[in-house]
Amino acid sequence: MSPHDSVHTLYRHHHSWLNTWLRCRLGNAADAADLAQDTFVRLLQRREQLELSAPRAFLRTIARGLVIDHWRREELHRAYLEALAHLPEAAAPSPETRELLLELLERIARLLDGLKPKVRQAFLLAQCEGLSHKQIAEQMGISLRSVERHVADALYHCYLLRYEP
Amino acid sequence: MSPSPRVVKQAIQWMLRLRENGTSPALHAQCEQWRAADQQHELAWQRLHTLQQELNLRAVPGAGVALHTLEASSQRLHRRQALKLLGGVALVSSAGWLAKDLQLLDSWTSDYATATGERRSIRLPDGSLLQLNTHSAADLAFDAKQRLVHLKHGELMLTCAADSQGRPLLIRTRDTLVEGFDGRFVVRQHDNCTQVSVSQGSVAIHTAPGVALRWLRAGEAVQIDQRGITPIAQPNMDAGAWAEGLIVTRNMRLADFLAEVGRYRHGYVSYAGDIADLRLSGVYRLEDTDKLLQLLPQTLPVRVSYRTRWWVRLERMS
Repeated sequence: MSPHDSVHTLYRHHHSWLNTWLRCRLGNAADAADLAQDTFVRLLQRREQLELSAPRAFLRTIARGLVIDHWRREELHRAYLEALAHLPEAAAPSPETRELLLELLERIARLLDGLKPKVRQAFLLAQCEGLSHKQIAEQMGISLRSVERHVADALYHCYLLRYEP
Repeated sequence: MSPSPRVVKQAIQWMLRLRENGTSPALHAQCEQWRAADQQHELAWQRLHTLQQELNLRAVPGAGVALHTLEASSQRLHRRQALKLLGGVALVSSAGWLAKDLQLLDSWTSDYATATGERRSIRLPDGSLLQLNTHSAADLAFDAKQRLVHLKHGELMLTCAADSQGRPLLIRTRDTLVEGFDGRFVVRQHDNCTQVSVSQGSVAIHTAPGVALRWLRAGEAVQIDQRGITPIAQPNMDAGAWAEGLIVTRNMRLADFLAEVGRYRHGYVSYAGDIADLRLSGVYRLEDTDKLLQLLPQTLPVRVSYRTRWWVRLERMS
């Protein structure tokens, strides 16, 4: 059976179940339908053997990742708009710049997912604010040694996700 | 070939040192030397450099709000995941490699629940002992007619006591209803079936109303799904060993063993396809699964490496 055939079989048997599962999480039929579609598109793009012994658990794993991506995008947009609201009007970026920045923020947020809050914070202070390790140590009230370790850990984490997923 | 973790970490150290003391010509020269010493060094360096540029927020206009945006949205995202999807502990998630199925909402609304890696013993009102394995949840409904335990997900062990009021002791799962009489047995709900294993005494499986009970005696185990009841002739794992904090295997596939160990850990255990069918027999302690994994190379031709704290990979020893 080719991978495409098995995706079609999965689709036939489990598409409406997946739709319902997603609707329970998202509370919204249109988003649920989109993400259910995306889930199967992801499957078609996979080159490795599909794990078919527990098809629903498998679909749920992929769908869950997509739900989180969806929520992340929503929350980023919301937080970004809030932050912009505090800027003077003249400083507000153009729509193109906003899109660009949001895209970048989303990529970064995905990479940083799963990092401990302190590791993440130290890394972001270095990356976004350009603070030196010493300044970060003072701001966070931790040792210089810890800051160095946190920033290095975060970079290593991002490196692995980027190059050795 | 990809640079080894050691080389990548060295490259990170160089990059950070230069960023902190960028003006020192001596440091620059030393770094150049390190990069030139080995192709792998240079490759790691280039990749890090690219990554740095991709992550460079200060190059984008209007990025002054980036820190606030990232931090605020991340907190809210975690709250949302916790509420709707993941439960308490937010972990590596977007890559989809948190392969535990998370009915953790159950855990919040259940009478008894355990987190990943946790085990719990509960003395029931009738004197029976209920033990919950890792990431499990159960409800109790004891009334004048019955003693009902609803296993919502995960695995439990019951050591039955005789009831002074003569009420039956029932365990309900998605697939079946199990009645315990005396002795001790384990019920585990998988994604697509339920397994019942009896270590002492006997239990009866109720499948549908009006259908005869299926009796199980000590030493027997069955799997129950939509198609019916299938005996498990030679289990490759002791069903109840977890209650003693152990995994006891007999000729178990490594892939199955790692899936089993994964139930007790946060994060992700991955392995190369060519070691999946290696077999192992032995007694392993669950209290520290990192240590447990480190022991595997003593008996199998594998090596264990950590990509992050939550992400372990096993490969064939070259």
